[in-house]
Amino acid sequence: MKRIGIILATIILLVLPRMSSAQDNKEKTAQGPAETSMSFICTSTSDDSIQLKAVISVKHDKGPTFLANAPVKFTAKAGDSESEVGIAKTDFRGSAVLKVPAHNKFSRNAQQLIEFKAAFTGNEKFASANGEFAIKPSKMVVTFYEEDSVRHVKVTASQLNSDGTESPIGATDVTISVPKMLSMLKVASISVDSTGTGTAEFPRDIIGDSLGNLNVVATIDENDTYGNVMAKADIKWGLPKHLISPDRPSRELWTPVAPLWMIITLIIMLAGVWGHYLFAVIQLIMIKKSSKVKVEKEEATS
Amino acid sequence: MSQTQTDELLKEFAPQLEHTGLKGKIWIGFLIFMVCMGLFALYWQVSRGHIVTGMRDNVVWGVYIVNFIFFMGISYAGALISGTLHLFHAEWRKPVIRMAEFITVISLLIGPLYIMLCIGRLDRLPNLILFGRIQSPITWDVIAISTDIIGCFIFLYLAILRDLSKLRDYEALKVPAWQKKLYKMLALGYTGTPEQQIRLKRATDIMAGMVIAIAIIVYSVLAWIFSVTLQPGWHSTIFGPYFVIAAVYSGTGVLILAMFIFRKVYHLEKHITQKHFVNVGVIMLVLAAFFGYFTFSEYLTKWYGSEKNDEILIKILFKDYYFFFIFSNYVGVLLPLIVVGFKKLRTINNITITAVVVIIALWMNRYLIVVPTLESPYLPIQDARAAWLHYSPTWVEMVLTAGGVASFCLFFTIASKLIPIVQVAELKEEPKESGDIYLR
Repeated sequence: MKRIGIILATIILLVLPRMSSAQDNKEKTAQGPAETSMSFICTSTSDDSIQLKAVISVKHDKGPTFLANAPVKFTAKAGDSESEVGIAKTDFRGSAVLKVPAHNKFSRNAQQLIEFKAAFTGNEKFASANGEFAIKPSKMVVTFYEEDSVRHVKVTASQLNSDGTESPIGATDVTISVPKMLSMLKVASISVDSTGTGTAEFPRDIIGDSLGNLNVVATIDENDTYGNVMAKADIKWGLPKHLISPDRPSRELWTPVAPLWMIITLIIMLAGVWGHYLFAVIQLIMIKKSSKVKVEKEEATS
Repeated sequence: MSQTQTDELLKEFAPQLEHTGLKGKIWIGFLIFMVCMGLFALYWQVSRGHIVTGMRDNVVWGVYIVNFIFFMGISYAGALISGTLHLFHAEWRKPVIRMAEFITVISLLIGPLYIMLCIGRLDRLPNLILFGRIQSPITWDVIAISTDIIGCFIFLYLAILRDLSKLRDYEALKVPAWQKKLYKMLALGYTGTPEQQIRLKRATDIMAGMVIAIAIIVYSVLAWIFSVTLQPGWHSTIFGPYFVIAAVYSGTGVLILAMFIFRKVYHLEKHITQKHFVNVGVIMLVLAAFFGYFTFSEYLTKWYGSEKNDEILIKILFKDYYFFFIFSNYVGVLLPLIVVGFKKLRTINNITITAVVVIIALWMNRYLIVVPTLESPYLPIQDARAAWLHYSPTWVEMVLTAGGVASFCLFFTIASKLIPIVQVAELKEEPKESGDIYLR
């Protein structure tokens, strides 16, 4: 017994250290505030606004984590001073978002760019972090048309000038994509010309929702002048996701009924098994009954 | 056999039912303490959520599922061993078959609890019944396990019925009144009349066959939950038989360990001899060979096929899980072959040590099936912190695992305090002339 105990203890001692590197939810006691970093981007969106988004992350040995509930102050540069745009708190993904109108009166620099700044002042636990982003407000419109049975997507992009007028943006690359479950599926690329317009053929084999609706997103990414620009539009050009015919049930959970062979197999198996259980229980009941009969007979005899 | 002889035999096993010594009380106290620790860990998990476990979006299953598979496995093993030995009338089975039956039922009570621990929203559990769809492998498992639990309870009850009647009729038994009443109620008035014997034998034979069939089907269903899933290492056609073999293999180890412990504690040296250890050891040896064959076949085809994700999985197994892999698939297979294979090494202690190694190796085998696969999926999770891509159990999971093992031991101990750990009725009624080794 002792020998077995010793061997068992040795095995456990060998195994446990290999499992004890569990994710330690408690962070190491930091010496001073934890180091933070901020990613700050500005995006002109199709609803005539500019989205200011700052993401704060905290650096750890096991990789960065997002910092939630941190106040981020957004400002716009006005000459040598700064004018406050607003304050937003980060969510559980460390993201603080603020939207400002695309037509605004923020000061612009010599290149007609608005210089936004995001700042987290920090506290005793987390160090401060900040980021800057310059953007020229712009907007895009996504439209669709079909010509000779070929489907096209058209993008019209314009920049918003400080005097309130709009003019076409210069030659720029636009990516057309469709949101999928985990990422954006790129479906086309468009080079916008000097008139601010560009077209591309739209594929026919993209899977949409159950009705074939697609949400198409056009983006200009990290442009030196326009920053990020995004526009969305819906079109019923996708393949319907629900391709299963009701008269041919498959194994999928969303099919109306299970396959017939599965139902029949299950019924036969369950009936067979539970039938035998019933037989065994009946035998037990009969044993109980026979004992009563025996007792009654004995009583009658006595 | 006369009434005096019956009384003598019952007298031998009565002390285990009548008294619990100081060591026994300490043991039960320790088990209750461990169960309480498990309950505390459960409270900790329920009050704080699954964040206190090592499970994350990437690796959604951990040691809870490993424990579930392990306990269900030893349960099916108990059913298969007891059912097979009963049907084939293996004479040497009698002192060990009760333990196999206890293993079956008790592990069936513990195993499914680990599924509950995996579920984040337990309040939605009734939906599984209310809106269950038989297309779902999870529904198959629910149906299969509930059917199996009831079947195993009926089989155990049939197996202990004669002992219950003997305990009811044994007047010298010094147990509390409630326990006597319990024996009387559960014995169903069985007195061993020819009619009752025929009915009992008929029911027991049928249920022995059923528990074998159900054990194979139910554990295959559990294997199919994995193999119908498109994950590297899981989508395998041999997972059904592989799981069944692994289950019986691990259960044989648990049976040997139980035999060793109860032999020592209740001084059953006269009934459980080296021959029993060797016989169960030979079963373990055969199963080790089968298990090794299936394991080799599983990994060879994956390695030779060189599919990208299979290669990643095998690399992980041989790098991050090297110790587990070697212990589980080499030590766990070769040790029984060596120890039981060579006559000189076939001692009770050696076979028991081998059984302990087999139990640990098979637990690790289930860990290797669940965790490394989830760490290397076909579709990796995006934008997750590096620490969440890999799994290792937290203290909560370890304590709940220990609590489950303690519950198993506690139920086993309590069961052995209510029913003799060796079949009294079987022993008594077996004529000595038929070659019965237990009355020598």
